[in-house]
Amino acid sequence: MSVRKKIAGTLLYRFGFRDAKLTVFEWLGIGFLCFIALIYLYPLIWMCDSSFRPMFEIFNVPPALFQKPIWQSVQSYSVSSYVSAFTTHNVGLAFFMSIFVTCAGIALTLLVCSLCAYGFVYMDFPGRKILFMVILGTMMLPMATMIAPAYRVISKLGLVNNPLGIILPYAMSAFGVFLLRQFYIRIPFSIVESARVDGAGHLKIWWNIILPLSRPALAALAIVQFRVIWNDFLMPMIVLRSEHFFTLPIRILLIDSINYNKPYDVIITAGFITALVPMIVFLIFQRHFIEGLTGGVKE
Amino acid sequence: MADSVAQKKKHKHNKNYWREAFSGYSLIAPFMLLLLIFSFYTFAYGFYQSFRSSQGLNPGDFIGLANYKEVLTSTAFWKAVKNTFVFTAGCLVTQIPVAFVLAVILNSLPLKRVQSALRAAFFLPVLINTVVIALLFRMLFNPDQGIVNWVLELLHLPNTYNFLMDSRLTMPLLIIVSFWQWTGFHMVYFVSQLQTIDPTLYESAKIDGAGRVKTLLRITVPMMRPALTFVVVTSAIGGLQLFDLVFMLFPNASYGPGGAGMTMIAHIYDQGFSSQFRLGYAAAVGWVVFFIIFIFSLIQLKAFGFGSNDE
Repeated sequence: MSVRKKIAGTLLYRFGFRDAKLTVFEWLGIGFLCFIALIYLYPLIWMCDSSFRPMFEIFNVPPALFQKPIWQSVQSYSVSSYVSAFTTHNVGLAFFMSIFVTCAGIALTLLVCSLCAYGFVYMDFPGRKILFMVILGTMMLPMATMIAPAYRVISKLGLVNNPLGIILPYAMSAFGVFLLRQFYIRIPFSIVESARVDGAGHLKIWWNIILPLSRPALAALAIVQFRVIWNDFLMPMIVLRSEHFFTLPIRILLIDSINYNKPYDVIITAGFITALVPMIVFLIFQRHFIEGLTGGVKE
Repeated sequence: MADSVAQKKKHKHNKNYWREAFSGYSLIAPFMLLLLIFSFYTFAYGFYQSFRSSQGLNPGDFIGLANYKEVLTSTAFWKAVKNTFVFTAGCLVTQIPVAFVLAVILNSLPLKRVQSALRAAFFLPVLINTVVIALLFRMLFNPDQGIVNWVLELLHLPNTYNFLMDSRLTMPLLIIVSFWQWTGFHMVYFVSQLQTIDPTLYESAKIDGAGRVKTLLRITVPMMRPALTFVVVTSAIGGLQLFDLVFMLFPNASYGPGGAGMTMIAHIYDQGFSSQFRLGYAAAVGWVVFFIIFIFSLIQLKAFGFGSNDE
């Protein structure tokens, strides 16, 4: 009894209910909002629930989750669709490819964009302002309109059916240069100047001083790029040809193209894995996510 | 904006200046090289390609304006343009007001932890791959075993809709799924902008005896105008490039019953990559679509008065 009270008290305290004095109207409003949020997230709950169910339970109406009390309902859970996803449908390889492409894309973006932003903030050269305006101008270009020439350009570079063919274009993030520049101009110039006086080269200053100082901005950019690259679909679909290079979305497209006895359980499981990774990253780096979303435009 | 380099202006004839300039160029070189290849050269190559009968890896012959003529007289293309604009307009009028109202409500919640939990909950769909979302909703809107018809039955509404096969429902379906996917994104952006509004403005409004609605209309909305402009313009540009959702929502890349959900980018993909690999024609469509999006964005920015005052 007392333990229960204590837990309830802690929960109330954790969510700040203790200090707030709310009217009945406000309580109802909060309850209503939470209810709406639950309905809003139901598709995700369904996907998570279905990924553990046998095929014949997935399309039950009413949903299998609501047919019995929850402790009985979860008794038919198994990992069999995960097993068949990883063994017969090669989702593991696609998962690895997605991780590889995403990490390589983020690393390259951070490297290329931070070097570029450093050049624009700390160095002077003819055409500096114009080039920066040009970069800003490309930020809103709808690249999806140019998939036909992009395919030819990538094939001329010999990068069709090569992960590099999608990784290199990811690094061309004008938003990244802009975001990092906005951060760098707030770093006191005297830091760089005194390092110059001490005889340090620009690359050394960039690597030893500016990169460590700009960690929050780099994290924000990495998170933004993570969401973009992990979820990219059109370019990988065009560029990657062999199955062993397929990233998760392309692998899901391949599984979905099976028309006879479509393995819905595997599709749901692969989809759930694809959705879970960014959700976990979001929960860990929530602050950076919001910063990356809004930081670039605050100035 | 403090321009740090301007403070130490050097003479251009100084030898050190050019050495410094050279290392400046080499630092921005990797990025500029990527930009040159994958942006400028790609656009230029697309322009060249659009005058040729390129097919697959075959560069084809110069055929003048034939591709453009075909695009502009193609009923399939103009249908795709119409679909795309209907979709974009539908998204804007549903998502932005709801996101704004939700943001104002969330921002006024007295419990900060409940506020951030709800904000995270509405943000989650933004993180998920559109391919996964499309397949998920394809299953939920399944006519026989989908949950949507079950809920309609529970509410004693007609529940015999075949959502995926009825061409009248194609656009509403795309707008609904897109609503689910993007409203939280706009909302989070609005909330973070609302928090930058100076609270003393609200205090003085309260002292002056302004009511809640009046405060909202006279302070919140005008202060949020830049944020609203940003969200409207970017989500319109995004909406005009709709592809993943319509490609995956309907089985076998059919773009809806009878192609009822065909969009501009889907038309490019369909012509350039799915059956005949008509890359030359696809490049011409790409340039036309690019101009449509470009002109539409300019009109939008003009309508919001962007660039006319201090913004």
